[in-house]
Amino acid sequence: MEKVLLANIDNPKSAEIGVYEASGGYDSLRKSLELAPDDIIETVKKANLRGRGGAGFPTGMKWMFASKDPKFPKYLVCNADEGEPGTFKDRPILEKNPHILIEGMAISGHALKAEFGYIYLRGEYPAAKGILEEAIRQAEAKGYIGDNMMGSGRNFKLAVHQGAGAYICGEETALIESLEGKKGHPRIKPPFPVNVGAWGMPTIVNNVETLSNMPFLMRVGPEAYAAIGSKECPGPKLFCVSGHVNKPGVYELPMGVTLREIIYDHCGGIKNGKTLKAVIPGGISTPVLPPDKIDCPMDFVNMPKHGSMLGSGAVIVMDESVCLVKVCLRALKFFEHESCGKCTPCRDGVSWLRQVLARIEGGEGRPGDIELLSEVAGNITGKTFCPLGDGAASVVLNFIKHFRDEFDMHIARKGCPIK
Amino acid sequence: MIKVTINGREVQLDKQVTILEAARRAGIKIPTLCHFEGLEMYGGCRLCLVEVEKMPRLQTSCTLMVTDGMVITTESEQIAAARRGMLEFILTNHPLDCPFCDKAGECELQDLVYLYGGTEGRFTEPKAKHPESNVDPILARNIERCISCTRCVRMCDGVVGASAISMINRGRHTVMEPFSGGKFDCEYCGNCLTVCPVGSILSRLYKETYRPWQVERTVRTVCGHCGVGCSYDLQVRDEAIKRVIPRIGEGLNRGLLCARGRFGYEFVGAKDRLKKPLVRRDGNLVETTWDEALGFIAAKLSEVIKTHGGEAVAGIASVRCTNEDNYVFQKFMRGVVGTNNIDSAARMGFSGAQAYLESLRGQGVSANVIAGLAKSDVIFVAGGDPTMVTPILGLEIRGAAKKGAKIISLDPAPGLEFFNPHKIVPSLFAEGAVLESLLCRAVSARGMTGELPHLEEAIRAAVSAECAGVAAQSGVPDAEIEKASATISGSQSPAFVIGPDIVQRADGNRNLFLLAALSYVTGGRIFLLSGKANEQGAVDMGCLPDTLPGGRPLAIDGFRKRHEDACGMSVPAREGLSLMEMFPAMADGRIKALYVIGENPAFNLPGGNSIKSALEKLDLLVVQDIFLTETAKMADIVLPALSWAEKDGTFTNLERRIQRVRRGVNREGREDWRILCDLAGRMGAAMEYASSEAVMSEIARVSPVHRDLHYSDIEAGAMQWPYHGEPLRGEASTVSLVTASARPTVGSGRFALLVDRPLFQSGTLTRRSKALLKLIPKATVKMNPLDAASLGISGGIVRVSSDAGSVELEAVIDSSVQMGAVKISNHFEGAGVFGLMTKPPVDPVTKAPAFEGCLVAVEPLKGDAKS
Ligand SMILES: Cc1cc2nc3c(=O)[nH]c(=O)nc-3n(C[C@H](O)[C@H](O)[C@H](O)COP(=O)(O)O)c2cc1C
Ligand code: SF4
Ligand code: SF4
Ligand code: SF4
Ligand code: FES
Repeated sequence: MEKVLLANIDNPKSAEIGVYEASGGYDSLRKSLELAPDDIIETVKKANLRGRGGAGFPTGMKWMFASKDPKFPKYLVCNADEGEPGTFKDRPILEKNPHILIEGMAISGHALKAEFGYIYLRGEYPAAKGILEEAIRQAEAKGYIGDNMMGSGRNFKLAVHQGAGAYICGEETALIESLEGKKGHPRIKPPFPVNVGAWGMPTIVNNVETLSNMPFLMRVGPEAYAAIGSKECPGPKLFCVSGHVNKPGVYELPMGVTLREIIYDHCGGIKNGKTLKAVIPGGISTPVLPPDKIDCPMDFVNMPKHGSMLGSGAVIVMDESVCLVKVCLRALKFFEHESCGKCTPCRDGVSWLRQVLARIEGGEGRPGDIELLSEVAGNITGKTFCPLGDGAASVVLNFIKHFRDEFDMHIARKGCPIK
Repeated sequence: MIKVTINGREVQLDKQVTILEAARRAGIKIPTLCHFEGLEMYGGCRLCLVEVEKMPRLQTSCTLMVTDGMVITTESEQIAAARRGMLEFILTNHPLDCPFCDKAGECELQDLVYLYGGTEGRFTEPKAKHPESNVDPILARNIERCISCTRCVRMCDGVVGASAISMINRGRHTVMEPFSGGKFDCEYCGNCLTVCPVGSILSRLYKETYRPWQVERTVRTVCGHCGVGCSYDLQVRDEAIKRVIPRIGEGLNRGLLCARGRFGYEFVGAKDRLKKPLVRRDGNLVETTWDEALGFIAAKLSEVIKTHGGEAVAGIASVRCTNEDNYVFQKFMRGVVGTNNIDSAARMGFSGAQAYLESLRGQGVSANVIAGLAKSDVIFVAGGDPTMVTPILGLEIRGAAKKGAKIISLDPAPGLEFFNPHKIVPSLFAEGAVLESLLCRAVSARGMTGELPHLEEAIRAAVSAECAGVAAQSGVPDAEIEKASATISGSQSPAFVIGPDIVQRADGNRNLFLLAALSYVTGGRIFLLSGKANEQGAVDMGCLPDTLPGGRPLAIDGFRKRHEDACGMSVPAREGLSLMEMFPAMADGRIKALYVIGENPAFNLPGGNSIKSALEKLDLLVVQDIFLTETAKMADIVLPALSWAEKDGTFTNLERRIQRVRRGVNREGREDWRILCDLAGRMGAAMEYASSEAVMSEIARVSPVHRDLHYSDIEAGAMQWPYHGEPLRGEASTVSLVTASARPTVGSGRFALLVDRPLFQSGTLTRRSKALLKLIPKATVKMNPLDAASLGISGGIVRVSSDAGSVELEAVIDSSVQMGAVKISNHFEGAGVFGLMTKPPVDPVTKAPAFEGCLVAVEPLKGDAKS
């Protein structure tokens, strides 16, 4: 497949506007500015573009809701918080191909009649901040964005807002709170951001990758776009693969490629000839899969049928040397640390899960602990304010579901059997 | 109409509400922890989970709005298990120290755990430990008990607007913390205390002194501090006030209180309360019996009346006493003594201002409901910071601002600073020029309706044809006034909030005229701030030299006759002396005897030594009070009275709402009215009432506005002006308007002395409330940073001297003080601002004292002078 999102990526000067322009950059914007905003939204719907931030929400539908709201100004926010452990797929766009995002946002801004865009950038990506700001400056200087974009009479201003290092601020409503200068706590929904978002105005939050799809989508049209990858969920997709594979990294592949293909065809198989023990297919919050489940097609529609989720497309591969109790504990430490503290089950329940896991991992597990973990996780599931807490409980439940033996052995042998 | 089914029962709703509210209306209780009526929705505790048909997950009933046809189940095994789960989670992060937690017995968490059955403690890991924080003088913090419900923060931020506390940290470590770390350093309204469901925030005033179930008596009453009149409950044990708690959602304050109201009750139990009557013997005040004391007064007073006539006696009524006390007092003065020389400290601004405004716009013009401020789109504040003078009214203004109302403040109002006010700060004492310019523009923008011809005529005479340049001498650019003017002119329902500072000016009457005119032209409502609990009541009860109870001028024979018939006593035809006129009359011997109830003129009135030396000249000074005040110390006879917490009666607040004051504490001593009745009897006049209620019955007969108003009516809600009586609608045909002579010039080391009115102190009573004293322990002089810098002052002790004397005070640099002025409060013994004032001029119309004439010099003291 021709690289779309990561085109030019191997050119050391890929972040420069000249390089981007040379390969047809900003042509899509020029073309889109001639279209009526609603026609662009129609195109996106027809192309069946789904959000790449994790939930796979149909982008065209989200845009239509926002577009129908009569309030102005509207805000377009790019979610570049990329906080899900294992995820680093947006980073190459932000650092190496910033103009594809800027062009994508300008097209989207036009479609949504939004004149202000924010890029909410992960606090731990300091380099990207400078690169993005320089790219915005260049694009403004060339008249691609800013007042009266390319003489179209339309305006679009862009600013980068750096987060302060909270995973929860990737959740769109917490992100908006943070953008407004408040503590990152998720908001009550409804109302949804498309109606009441930043400063009470309609706000469209989309992932970096989602918005970066726009120049290509508008260039080739919805039919050609929809022909790539899965029928139910088409388009190019970035997968970031980490762990025990020979060639970890970010891969641009069509939606619907199987996990097996990713691991064995693209990443060169398991490192050092060891055997695969477990894969987390879409970032730490998505259910872990045992080796016999890796023939699933990686897209938003098919993954749930195979017991997991596409999530952010962050594939974490673990070989036989890995202690899964330890991985589970490590994940829960993350969730405990990142729980925003708003709701009871996540704030106190997740911490409890971590504490029980810590004693099992530390060789102090007691009979009944696995039942306790399951019950506590069950009390969390479905009762949290936002998906973070649910995600934490689901990690525990899925590790136990697929790898219960390993937990039992930790308790019985008072420590890790692998060591 | 929305129809929903809750637990199989159909419920009809007229508008969309939360499931929780819908259930409440159907009488179904759903447990909650983070929800609190009146606070922003939150949805964090997850206790209120319910099942909703067609929704896969349990839903939080406090956040989900009902929709037509919704089918809801609030109790099931699944729901109970979920709630038990949530409680179990909370308890993993909450100490089980109920046996020594003050909240036990009224803790919402404890109650819920009882309801859902204790869990058997499956959590075995150690819990986080945080020692109790007692660094704050008023509030103790046990963050170990904090369940992160954020109710306190939502109260502080969203309702009070003080934004003093926040949730800090994330996850399990989330706790409430004041921004300043340890101390709260806030407005100390304690409303966070009201909403905390657990024992995380506690009042140090009563901590560990009793258990909620040991309260012997809970008495519904109103606050005795300012003219807002907030409702609350006094909780009493062993005849001592244990605490003050508001009733959520009730009263005009709807359950909110301010620092003075909530924490300023300790004076009631102060050790130095007067217990026995005192009589002066050989120059000293010594204890005596009631019989002897009253006999002495009766004899002495009769003698003065016989030799010099009733008009040689004057009386000062109390803005802190009940309507019943004040009514009986004026009746005693008029009917028994035979004088109209009766006034109260309301004369310091409130009463004269109100009378004048009423002469311009009709009786009751300031009787506007405080809650109505919320409906104003523009609020013009002049002459004081409402968040300090009348704190709960101040919150109402903040609330309106949050909803989008525009605030314009003439002179600084620091408490509204966070609410995006348009601040107009004219040069010192030049507010009149700004008001005139605003009036001029309002008249040309809006025209006039012809409704009040006498007022319109005066307005036409007062405004110039050309509005530009009118405000030149105020130092405020025309453009800025134009902006404010556009805001006011564009308003549908402006409100004008008038504080004491703009009245207590050499041309106070002119300022009031301009404000009345501006409000008339723009269709605005007037709110007159009142810093004392019953200023309005003292006025309405006729404690005025020219007015009878119910606001009837006594100079009009018809009114006087009718009044005499109704109360069965005669009233002298001649108007009496107003408060500030009494002292020169004492000095020159026209007044020989003064009778004071619940007031402290030697300290609370401006004029320094001139007041004291006038009092010294008296043949007889009688003081009824609860403390041995500066004035009582000079008296011939001092009678111990009861505080508002110890008697029954009524107060009338600044919106003229009449409310019941109820006895919470039993104490030896007598109500002021009872003392006066006893005295009247000894002087041969029959004034007998079985109870305060009987006094009210007479008021209801005598005062036309209080017609047929009995306690039972007040209880039933007939408490709003004009009750069911008739206000006086006659309009004055001439407008008295007197412009002041030249102003004093400040500069060259002389500063204008102004009155500081802080939130935490209001004088004699608060300085005996230990908690409030911790917040402002001593008198200070506040000055502008630039003025201070020009004198090389950056704090420390300075000497402030005027022609009347000098004091040494700590200097506080405060940018809200205007250039050229310094501010001192009138709260601390020996360091009151009024003591520094030489005899101030009196406004010829309102008869209020004008303070701008007093100039002081400020000099830093070398080294660490005595503090
Ligand atoms: C706890 C949590 C963290 C999230 N973090 C991110 C993130 O880092 N980046 C992202 O794009 N979306 C993240 N999301 C998803 C966003 O809430 C939102 O769905 C997404 O930005 C929408 O963009 P899309 O429609 O383009 O996918 C997160 C969601 C949750 C619940
Ligand atoms: S699940 Fe609750 S505590 Fe956890 S991050 Fe979401 S809102 Fe915050
Ligand atoms: S201090 Fe009290 S009210 Fe505030 S968050 Fe904690 S438990 Fe809730
Ligand atoms: S606002 Fe006034 S009446 Fe209300 S609590 Fe405070 S002092 Fe008392
Ligand atoms: S009361 Fe509804 S979530 Fe707390």
